[in-house]
Amino acid sequence: MADAVVRHVVTFGRVLREAGLEVGPGRLNDALVGLDRVDLTRQDDVYWTLRQTLVSRHDDLEAFDRAFRAWFLRAPTAPLSREQSGGQTIQLVRRSDGTKRSSEQRDGEGDQEALGYSREELLREKDFASLTPDEFAIVGRLMQELATARPKRRSRRLRPSSGGRQLDMRRLVRDALATGGDCVERPLRDRVRIPRKLVVICDVSGSMEAYSRALVLFLHALVGSGRGVEAFAFGTRLTRLTPDLRGRDPELALVEAAKRVVDWSGGTRIGASLKAFNDEWGRRALTRGAVVLIVSDGWEREDAALVGSEMARLARQAYAVVWVNPLKGHPDYQPLAAGMRAALPSIDRFLAGHNLASLEELAEILSGIERRHAA
Amino acid sequence: MPFSGIDELEHALREADYLPDRGLATALYLSLALEKPVLLEGEAGVGKTEAAKALARILGTRLIRLQCYEGLDVAHAVYEWNYSRQLLHIRAAQEGSVSEAELFGPEFLIRRPLLEAIETPQRVVLLIDEIDRADEEFEAFLLEVLSDFQITIPEIGTISAADHKPAVVLTSNRTRELHDALKRRCLYHWIGHPALEREIEIVKVRVPGVPERLAAQAAAFVSGLRTLDLAKPPGVAESIDWVRALVALGRQELDAAVVEETLGSVLKYHEDLLAVRDTTLQELVEAARAAR
Repeated sequence: MADAVVRHVVTFGRVLREAGLEVGPGRLNDALVGLDRVDLTRQDDVYWTLRQTLVSRHDDLEAFDRAFRAWFLRAPTAPLSREQSGGQTIQLVRRSDGTKRSSEQRDGEGDQEALGYSREELLREKDFASLTPDEFAIVGRLMQELATARPKRRSRRLRPSSGGRQLDMRRLVRDALATGGDCVERPLRDRVRIPRKLVVICDVSGSMEAYSRALVLFLHALVGSGRGVEAFAFGTRLTRLTPDLRGRDPELALVEAAKRVVDWSGGTRIGASLKAFNDEWGRRALTRGAVVLIVSDGWEREDAALVGSEMARLARQAYAVVWVNPLKGHPDYQPLAAGMRAALPSIDRFLAGHNLASLEELAEILSGIERRHAA
Repeated sequence: MPFSGIDELEHALREADYLPDRGLATALYLSLALEKPVLLEGEAGVGKTEAAKALARILGTRLIRLQCYEGLDVAHAVYEWNYSRQLLHIRAAQEGSVSEAELFGPEFLIRRPLLEAIETPQRVVLLIDEIDRADEEFEAFLLEVLSDFQITIPEIGTISAADHKPAVVLTSNRTRELHDALKRRCLYHWIGHPALEREIEIVKVRVPGVPERLAAQAAAFVSGLRTLDLAKPPGVAESIDWVRALVALGRQELDAAVVEETLGSVLKYHEDLLAVRDTTLQELVEAARAAR
């Protein structure tokens, strides 16, 4: 293959990487080998060959197309870099979080050792909205432990188990070999219990700001607890958070989340966001058989009826729907917000989530959910 | 490599009653040329599974299909022992005369799709359907099979298909993101809804004897539906089903009454049915009739 083509493709690979695609040497090699087999004068064949070898997910197609237009067709095009919000939102998160993380954590640990259990006890009951940065760090760590609780379901996989329900035929035949075909013992197997899919949809709009910082920490811990957890955030629109929460550092996750959720402290459109979720993810059966956890105060700015119909759609697909509303922690709370009222008929469990104690309750319920409860 | 270029493969697929767009033809051609599996993604009903079937037809080989589901394990994907035969064999033989090697030999093996695809001495088309439904453990196992094209059965040994690698087609509905390592092994192609002209062509090929005008109107109506905000926009599969129903009813063209009666073969969600019936049905029918 001509050197010029190789150089062209390698540079194009670099352009794609800058646009956020993962293009390794293996893929580039596939592209070159592929191009060797097609007619280079046919633009569409070159396009398809590059696209099929260099792209591996649907979400990257648009970025690829733009890069292809710019690079090979030399067409003017919008800038390639991914959408980024201004520094303002990021700063907002940093400021309220404190920037000197390491020293703070040391302080936090010191305090904890000195004051011991009682301080944790107090923190458990303290409203997230009134935590100091030190306390916030401690709460963050306590949350890690909580988040390992996951709803379970029975898998179709079988493991040896003395109390099982199915014969382990492989073992039975082997054993029978020694006894001339007589089965002396009954080796049994049973289905194992494995984590059920968990989908978390978290409201990060202005009215939730005091709580969403803490809850994003909780989400981070949940996503880190194993596979099968998907997290989304919404304000005026929906965005998928799972990739941001994959990293090890929850504070970094917060910053990353702030970058993506451009409307970090804007208004709330619960109905439209749920609809976006149902359309994009529910249709692809992400919700099917999953426990769906929605975290929101239920303040819909626009269309409460839409909240009702989209919640019903969600509930029909999900295994169970849990709604966490931090406002419910206040003793005289009534679900008066129109969006909240519209959603209630489709909710299986309605909980508070304003402090650590209420998250403990949530964890307990999540690990115990076995079948659909009446609302 | 039985095809000299993309054009020839595209032509063969058309002869086999599958009308691919240039992108899909390129994907299948490269998959054969580079001996790499191809991962097809797209909305339900755009013809992912059909593409694999058509590929088997034009290669003149068998299609071996592995339908994935949650909890799919080696016993259902690769092999299982025929336990009842084994037990009978022990019983029928003289006591102590059956060796373990005999009992766990090829004649007691039940071959499941993956083993069958590897063991068949000719190249076959292996369709791994809806891989996103299988769990991650299975995906990891599949990764091994797809990199070496060999399977090891502890009692028998390693069976390899290195000299007759199957043409592998994986499909996914994107209920979850597949593992990067698996994707890296595959070419990737996203199948979208077809353009109007191609959909008309597809309908005509798949529903022999359909009146030209009906095919055009139905395709226009369905592509009109796709512009609406529906829970599940119809795919080509729905168009074909629907036109079959209309032909069975002896229709020559669309009108509002017959669309109303048969809409259930296009729209599979109650909300969608209601939404279309109440608002835009008349308009869409008018537009579709005006198209031809």
